[in-house]
Amino acid sequence: MSQIETFYEVMRRQGITRRSFMKYCSLTASALGLGPAFVPKIAHAMETKPRTPVIWVNGLECTCCSESFIRGAHPLAKDVVLSMISLDYSHTLMASAGHQAEAALAETIEKYKGNYILAVEGNPPLNEDGMFCIVGGKPFVEQLKWAAKDAKAVISWGACASYGCVQAAAPNPTRATPVHKVITDKPIIKVPGCPPIAEVMTGVITYMLTFDRLPELDRQGRPAMFYGQRIHDKCYRRPHFDAGQFVEAWDDENARKGYCLYKMGCKGPTTYNACSTVRWNEGTSFPIQSGHGCIGCSEDGFWDQGSFYDRVTDLTQFGVEANADQVGLAAAGVVGGAVAVHAAISALKRAQKKTQEKVEG
Amino acid sequence: MTEGPARLVMGPFNRVEGDLEVTLEIAEGRVAAARINAPLFRGFERMLEGRDPRDALTITPRICGICSISQSAAAARALADAMGLAPEPQGALVAALIHAVENVADHLTHFHLFFMPDFTRPVYDTRPWHGRMVDRFTAATGSALTRAVAARAELFHILGMMAGKWPHTLAIQPGGVTKAPTARDRARILATLRSFRRYLEEVLFGAPVEAFADLASLAALERWATGDVALFLEAAADLDLAHLGRGSGRYLSFGAYPLPEGPVFAAGLWDGSRRSVDPAAIREDLSHAWMLGEARHPSQGETRPDEDMAAPAYSWCKAPRLDGRTVETGALARQIVDGHPLALALAAEGGVRARVAARLLEIARTQLVMETLATGIRPEAAFMARGTLPRDGAGMGLVEAARGALGHWLTIERGRIARYQIIAPTTWNFSPRDAAGVPGPVEAALEGAPVQPGETTPVSVQHIVRSFDPCMVCTVH
Repeated sequence: MSQIETFYEVMRRQGITRRSFMKYCSLTASALGLGPAFVPKIAHAMETKPRTPVIWVNGLECTCCSESFIRGAHPLAKDVVLSMISLDYSHTLMASAGHQAEAALAETIEKYKGNYILAVEGNPPLNEDGMFCIVGGKPFVEQLKWAAKDAKAVISWGACASYGCVQAAAPNPTRATPVHKVITDKPIIKVPGCPPIAEVMTGVITYMLTFDRLPELDRQGRPAMFYGQRIHDKCYRRPHFDAGQFVEAWDDENARKGYCLYKMGCKGPTTYNACSTVRWNEGTSFPIQSGHGCIGCSEDGFWDQGSFYDRVTDLTQFGVEANADQVGLAAAGVVGGAVAVHAAISALKRAQKKTQEKVEG
Repeated sequence: MTEGPARLVMGPFNRVEGDLEVTLEIAEGRVAAARINAPLFRGFERMLEGRDPRDALTITPRICGICSISQSAAAARALADAMGLAPEPQGALVAALIHAVENVADHLTHFHLFFMPDFTRPVYDTRPWHGRMVDRFTAATGSALTRAVAARAELFHILGMMAGKWPHTLAIQPGGVTKAPTARDRARILATLRSFRRYLEEVLFGAPVEAFADLASLAALERWATGDVALFLEAAADLDLAHLGRGSGRYLSFGAYPLPEGPVFAAGLWDGSRRSVDPAAIREDLSHAWMLGEARHPSQGETRPDEDMAAPAYSWCKAPRLDGRTVETGALARQIVDGHPLALALAAEGGVRARVAARLLEIARTQLVMETLATGIRPEAAFMARGTLPRDGAGMGLVEAARGALGHWLTIERGRIARYQIIAPTTWNFSPRDAAGVPGPVEAALEGAPVQPGETTPVSVQHIVRSFDPCMVCTVH
């Protein structure tokens, strides 16, 4: 293994200064919710551990995950992560093309057997022997299985890889199938959302690269540090929900006042994601802030739950906290699995703390 | 492989949006025939059937993570058309601004991440500009790429503010936009645009944006000596990219950024002179697509994949034709149809250089458009008109995505979507042959491209294909 460079060596080779490197370590610590004491630990890990190669493959998808990843996030963190990823295989960004690119993929898999992370954007369609998505003359599902065989872990980027997303919407013409239904013998980290928030993507991958272990996952396999809270719980419009103040129609007086979008079909009460805390496009805003309800894109099956503009329940009267939770629970039955997540949160918090102690120790 | 006719399959094609496979027949060192395969099919049109028509606003943007606002704008216009609704003027203005931000960012992405890195290939290492290209445009790490990605991320703050998130925004609705900008938002948008202008003037153009937008002739373009634009022009002149990959000379634009007084960039068909477009003259030919059915107008079209993938078909892509003929669409078409003098000069040239130069021209002009739009925001105005969807009806939404003409055709029956058909810009440009055997625009443009002995991924083919900026996920959807 000694021939693999450390992260630090890679960064220096890419022209990143020591000062920027230290800044990166402190950004990473804060992004992951770790204290300043972790900065030297992260630095030490990156100076001494061989880098973890990442292979990034694309199936049936729309490239929104790559797009989110390359343009959001803190420029420094993104540059560093991106430069490391691009060392290996990335369909959208790499320099080579055609068979040369396929050869590069084969070589990377061979060289880092058992040590690389496979990042999957999109999913394989299984109908017609996978012929609806062909990569290098073969169905994507074959590339996926081949690349996953020697991976040490798999990241499922976005709702497509995690759950199927809109291309699996009824009648699911191509039988688009989430990664975990095809790859069953590897640890899989789901990073859902359509797309996921850039900071969440860099946060997850940085954690894995830095600490060489999986982040703590909830029962749906999502990193608890980013998917542990409902949008609704951290929404800046939540006081209006509690006060029973709602937008009734687009651009009405209540919309101008920033009232709650629940009646406009907002799925914030049943959606676990970091939008209302981390926000989008470098922390500028998120859908609810732009006056449109959440569509619940980080939840399984969000594309087939009736209209996006239907209310999550038929409740018309509420306004106190107890009712809000009822709303959450009632609707959680619709969006499969959310109840289980809710129940698991406290356990996950404990687990997360344990992880941090382990790092310290 | 150097003697006689040979067949070459290029794919997967990297640094394009989505999956693309090009099959070339090569004879005497040139491409004799080309066939384009869009190997990815998802079936969005089928999924939309039976849904609440408003769901098109959420589903169709997810066709593509690069042009998602274009898709949502087309869906909103198709719904508005079915409702008989005109958006609030200020809503249309903000929708235009949001859309312009996405389009200009797409052009920036194309130039830096997709097109220019080909000039850093070893095949060019004896050229005088090669070293500078490697420094500026090496894939994923070049210094120009880093700056462009940062400038683009900052420009996207406007989308964060006005559209909540990008990609896949939800803000554009049939009646306008969901977010009424405040005076503070307006000030921040203008500040963001000033910063983007600074980037364009310091790095990309190396001179005032107006100076590039005002270029009126090929000679004036060729004299341009500053910024990364000059580096492109130097390589383009050295490699004679003006004469590589020439198109048919027929250009289509549906007109970009509709405002109450008309589109900012005009709509029309140009084939030596400008004429109006009749959308009723569009047909989607299925003879060489793995699709079942007859050639039809999209309002009557259907999407039934042929599971046998029977010959002579070779792509999931349908072949749209206007009056039975192929047309090229994109920034070059848009600027020609709008009558810009430099674009008109480039119209006759119609090759790789013309397409890339037109995109640069459009970046400069769109910066000015965005500044005018943002200055025109009146926070006290209404931003959303309300309407009702008919129980039965039909609508058409025609917009200009970064890559060209995009149309949505919608039929509503009993309050649900009965039919939804989409023709994306890359469907026009990368279409397969039609029943008459006429190749699609890119297939035609590839004929005659030089192939050096031993080349397995001919660089000339790379330049031509990328000059069209394919978005393959939109193509078939």
